[in-house]
Amino acid sequence: MSIKVENLCHVYRKGLPEESKALDEVSFDVSDNQILGVIGHTGSGKSTLLQHLNGLLKADSGEISIDGMRLYAPEVSMLDIRKKVGLVFQYPEYQLFEETVAKDIAFGPKNLGLTEEEIDSRVREAMSLVNLDYDTFSEKSPFDLSGGQKRRVAIAGVLAMKPKILILDEPTAGLDPKTHKDILNMVVDIHRKEKNITVFVSHNMNDIANISDNIIVMDKGKCVLQGKPEEVFSHSDFIKSIGLDLPDVTQLMKDLGIEREDGKAIFSLDEAENMIFNMIGGSK
Amino acid sequence: MIRDITLGQYYNVESLIHRLDPRVKMAWTFMYIIGLFIINDFIGFVFAGICLALVIYMSKVPVKFMVRGLKPIFFIIVITFILNMLMIGGEVLVKWWIFSITKEGLKQASIMAIRLIMLIIGSSILTLTTKPINLTDGIEKALSPFKRFGFPAHEIAMMTTIALRFIPTLLEETDKIMKAQQARGADFESGNILRRAKQLIPILVPLFIGAFRIANDMAMAMEARCYRGGDHRTKMHSMQYEKRDFVAYGLIVVFLAAIILLRIYF
Repeated sequence: MSIKVENLCHVYRKGLPEESKALDEVSFDVSDNQILGVIGHTGSGKSTLLQHLNGLLKADSGEISIDGMRLYAPEVSMLDIRKKVGLVFQYPEYQLFEETVAKDIAFGPKNLGLTEEEIDSRVREAMSLVNLDYDTFSEKSPFDLSGGQKRRVAIAGVLAMKPKILILDEPTAGLDPKTHKDILNMVVDIHRKEKNITVFVSHNMNDIANISDNIIVMDKGKCVLQGKPEEVFSHSDFIKSIGLDLPDVTQLMKDLGIEREDGKAIFSLDEAENMIFNMIGGSK
Repeated sequence: MIRDITLGQYYNVESLIHRLDPRVKMAWTFMYIIGLFIINDFIGFVFAGICLALVIYMSKVPVKFMVRGLKPIFFIIVITFILNMLMIGGEVLVKWWIFSITKEGLKQASIMAIRLIMLIIGSSILTLTTKPINLTDGIEKALSPFKRFGFPAHEIAMMTTIALRFIPTLLEETDKIMKAQQARGADFESGNILRRAKQLIPILVPLFIGAFRIANDMAMAMEARCYRGGDHRTKMHSMQYEKRDFVAYGLIVVFLAAIILLRIYF
């Protein structure tokens, strides 16, 4: 499984005076079993990029291949793409509409035309992936749940389609700290269990640094930086100049003047602890 | 996509017509429509057409924007024309099977079509040259004399303003929900009418819930800023008639008088 994006361009309101380039020659690769973190300030083109990955928006030029399947090839249908690529929007709980949780989660699989048994087993599986007990929740109305539970239901609705690539647009936005942590751990858990590619957008640099294998940084529709978290966050001045921030640990180590020998950024708490202890000559 | 739909088709340009008081423009539109129904001969339409062309020229709005409003009702115009042409008896010009086209019918049909076209173009000038907010302000001011009989002029104006304000918000919301459901494999483009109607449920339910949520937040925000209805509220821009507005009112009288005279003497 892989994603290959080449020279993707998308122009909003083409031909009008207020025409704006939402994506400008964006290229990147994601290889098997990776978590890709996407960062960029509001309006940098992140959401536009995500919507291209499952065919909701069509590029003006450029090419996307998912596992060798070219999205813009004439024989590829939208349903083929959506089977492979699951997109969880921002505040996904606002798209819930069915009478019961189980029915809502079944909406996606039903659209894929699966059999009743297959749908039922997928609903159960998806609910267990998002840590919702089937017997407790399946017959409840989604509108009676708490914010965090609603979001789990919405994510389960996409997981039930068994996408090989799972895209999440700020899955932790607007949640309390505990739910935030739960959802984040859940995403990493699902990634390990399903061995899928996960694309993850967040404004929280700590989350991004800790869970991503690779990061791409968007600014004004361009992909301005990509690489492993320790490489990306070592460009601290540049990151700040485009309206982003460093992870807390990275910032702390920078302020303390502690650096790794290879000059790469430090963002894991354990590594930072060890380095500080090394410096002051103590231990835990 | 759905976000490209433009409603509240205000055309932003500086002109004399744009600067006129919204009440004058509403009175003009109203009287112009009455005038169109008084006219029953081509000479009257020529006169009204010249007046209309003059106003369009002064408004500096490109003609294509005016004509754009005709597109959705083009069918209605054609059907009205055909029905009028076939239904009215008189001197027969063409006869085919049970249909016959008469001279009177042709004339009546043309008058009807011209009337409809001029009606749409004329009233679109009002919305093209007046910001929705000024329009509702104008409605409030124009209806305010009826307040003493318990007529809720301010409330109606406020509701209209809020409704207009939320059109783009709800369109955006619809777009988002549609995309989210499409991402779950929903297909809104194919199938028969029944299937398509069913496919609307996943859009409509979240949309309604969203609308109630937005309305609730809005009410709360207004309450928090001490909104308590129209009594004793003052305006930042209070509407004041100027010389040009009185001139425009005078021209309405001239316009109507001319139309009535044309009807009597021709």
